[in-house]
Amino acid sequence: MISNIYTIALSGLSATLIEVQTCLALGIPKFEIVGLPDIAIKESKERITFAIKNSEIQFPSMKIIVNLSPADVKKEGSSYDLPIAIGILQNIGKIKNNVTNNCVFIGELGLDGKIYKVNGALSMCIEAKKYGMKKIILPKENMYEAAFVDGIEILPVENLKQVIEYLNGIQKIEYVPKKVEKLLNLEKDYEYKFEDIYGQENVKRALEISASGNHNCLISGIPGVGKTILSKTISSILPDLSFEEALEITQIYSASGKLKDGEIICTRPFCAPHHTISTSSMIGGGKKPMPGEITLAHFGVLYLDELAEFKKDTLEALREPLQDKRIMINRVNYNLEYPSNFMLIASMNPCPCGYYGSIKKECTCTALQRKKYIEKISGPFLDRIDLKAYAMEIEYEKISKQYKNNGETSKSVKQRVTRAREIQNDRYKNEKINTNSELTSELIQRYCEIDNYSNSLLRQAYDKFNLSIRGYNKILKVARTIADLEETEKINVKHIAEAIQYRCQENENGSRI
Amino acid sequence: MEVEYSSKYFPKKLRNIKNFPQKIYVLGNIEIINNFGIAIIGSRSCSTYGEKMAKLFAQRLSKYKINIISGMARGVDKYAHLATIENKGSTIAVLPSGFNKIYPKENEYIVNKILDAGGAVISEYEPDEMVKSKNFIERNRIVSALSDGILIIEGGYRSGTAVTARIAKEQNKKIFCVPSSLENPKGLVPNKLIHEGAALVRNEEDIIENFDNIEKRKSEEYEKINFSNINESFIMDFLEDEIGIDEIVKKSNLKIEEVNYQLTMLQLMNKIEQLPGKRYRRIV
Repeated sequence: MISNIYTIALSGLSATLIEVQTCLALGIPKFEIVGLPDIAIKESKERITFAIKNSEIQFPSMKIIVNLSPADVKKEGSSYDLPIAIGILQNIGKIKNNVTNNCVFIGELGLDGKIYKVNGALSMCIEAKKYGMKKIILPKENMYEAAFVDGIEILPVENLKQVIEYLNGIQKIEYVPKKVEKLLNLEKDYEYKFEDIYGQENVKRALEISASGNHNCLISGIPGVGKTILSKTISSILPDLSFEEALEITQIYSASGKLKDGEIICTRPFCAPHHTISTSSMIGGGKKPMPGEITLAHFGVLYLDELAEFKKDTLEALREPLQDKRIMINRVNYNLEYPSNFMLIASMNPCPCGYYGSIKKECTCTALQRKKYIEKISGPFLDRIDLKAYAMEIEYEKISKQYKNNGETSKSVKQRVTRAREIQNDRYKNEKINTNSELTSELIQRYCEIDNYSNSLLRQAYDKFNLSIRGYNKILKVARTIADLEETEKINVKHIAEAIQYRCQENENGSRI
Repeated sequence: MEVEYSSKYFPKKLRNIKNFPQKIYVLGNIEIINNFGIAIIGSRSCSTYGEKMAKLFAQRLSKYKINIISGMARGVDKYAHLATIENKGSTIAVLPSGFNKIYPKENEYIVNKILDAGGAVISEYEPDEMVKSKNFIERNRIVSALSDGILIIEGGYRSGTAVTARIAKEQNKKIFCVPSSLENPKGLVPNKLIHEGAALVRNEEDIIENFDNIEKRKSEEYEKINFSNINESFIMDFLEDEIGIDEIVKKSNLKIEEVNYQLTMLQLMNKIEQLPGKRYRRIV
């Protein structure tokens, strides 16, 4: 007799339905798994044998062949333990014959029959539903992420015995899914908030604009003024995740095994890789495909501290994902596409010694050194940055705690940001874009109309600050976001003038940084 | 363009000095070289005060029909050239090396700016000749020779500026000095020269009044926008000294968006300028 059990193979974020065919025959006892299994699957033989023994069932002393079909798809990981064990048990009559139809099994077995969590359970559930499966039996630790999927019966289990008893109708599995929407709307506690920071109004405003229009932002400033903490506050003003966004992020984190305690992700990710990061861990790849930092920062923030210290090719590799919001990873063994719709916040010093522009300490760099330092970041990369802010030095008395007036709270800024995002979603519902940062020059003409007065102001600024056409377009994009923050339909001269402040920073080398 | 001593284009001003160059190379507008000129020279590593003064005098002097002459070195020279170009004046740079080996390399872009603005660039060296230390002093004698008066901004002990001042004296040029604080190490040369009898200048008129027949240039006014609705006095009150944007926000009690707006407007009105480190100051 042959038993057919379904399970799911994951590659990147997409999955394939796998049929586990098990056949027992008389002969010299042996246990063989075929169909391109990796080492983790080959080792599963021992786990399965003892898991069955320890569930008080005698392991059959027969020739056992397991085939994973389609046989030409590479299979990896430990999630095949449970389906293989079920296949064997069905063969020896411990499980009824027709109860496993339309049911997907995933899970890793321990020697004692316990079922452990697997990576990518969420993607597997989504895929199982697409294939028309009715039930999915998965490890209890994975049940929270599975809460995203409805229309398929989710059955979290703890051990093999429980699965057998359920399938034979002896015991029922209780499962009440958590409401994901509720989790997303919960008030979250952020590590750093706007009200924790004194002053720096100019950077806070830049972050507010960035968050509203999904613009990339570069913060420069002398060492120790709090660029890092300032950048971290952006999490507290970004709008809450929508259901679809949370689902996509959780899928990514689940597939890369980064879900903590099986919880789902309900805040926007903030990824801050160190500047020694390699190119493939930044954009994804590896022998076994893994999403990189840019994918882990999907719908969130990628924060690059000390931008000028990053390896040049690592930064250059960010150019396409910044444009396309996704990344294709092509290797000999696989071609994968990961989403990478992130917002880039970068920070750097203005020069190698760090003190150019400081009033307290004199800069010891020469003009040439400063120029070289800034030139480490290529023009095309800087082109993708819409706003430039400068973090100021803070005097001692302001650090001390007596100061109470720290300006607006994150909460009220967040409301404005959320509103501005809604306006943009509404405006671009017929376009392929969602936010102002994605406006192309053609769309800028359509959506960023300005009056004559603003036009002559821009013309004058164009001459005075040596703007380029690209710089001009960026000012319009940022001005559009500022207008959205004010909830005004037309861009006026104030919006343009403010956008110019975030474009033109005084520097020895003119308008580059 | 190559100009031999025998050529009719060879600048008259250069014929009259001892050890005149045999030939010079000229880029740009050769006709302006014989016009009235003031050299602005000073330290390569000038202080912020020096930078400010170089820009200020270049800007004010370029309102007149005057060539601003300098050596395109780092520091004061560079600021003098750039400020003149920005104010649409004509400027002449004298290089210490050939045109293909411009020194310092980071100032190469200034050459194009000068040429675009109708100025001239001069060198007495073959196009491929590299810079040598003796060239600087040779260059300085031409800077001095082409000018009718020489304005010294800042210069340290035993500096090139001091040498140029000495050459200018030998060539009987009028010497003007911008005074400096006694604590400023770069103020040594101008203060010493003032002590020895050079003219102390407080503004551009102190220079102009020494010469006859200097006309003002017609300034080209282009379509200006109406800034009347800017309450400039309000923010300008804080801008007496250099001030950071955060300070302005705090002192004025305005919202950051309003401050950003007004700062851009004031910058476009040329009332204030932005400094490195997001600080601003009033333009005097």
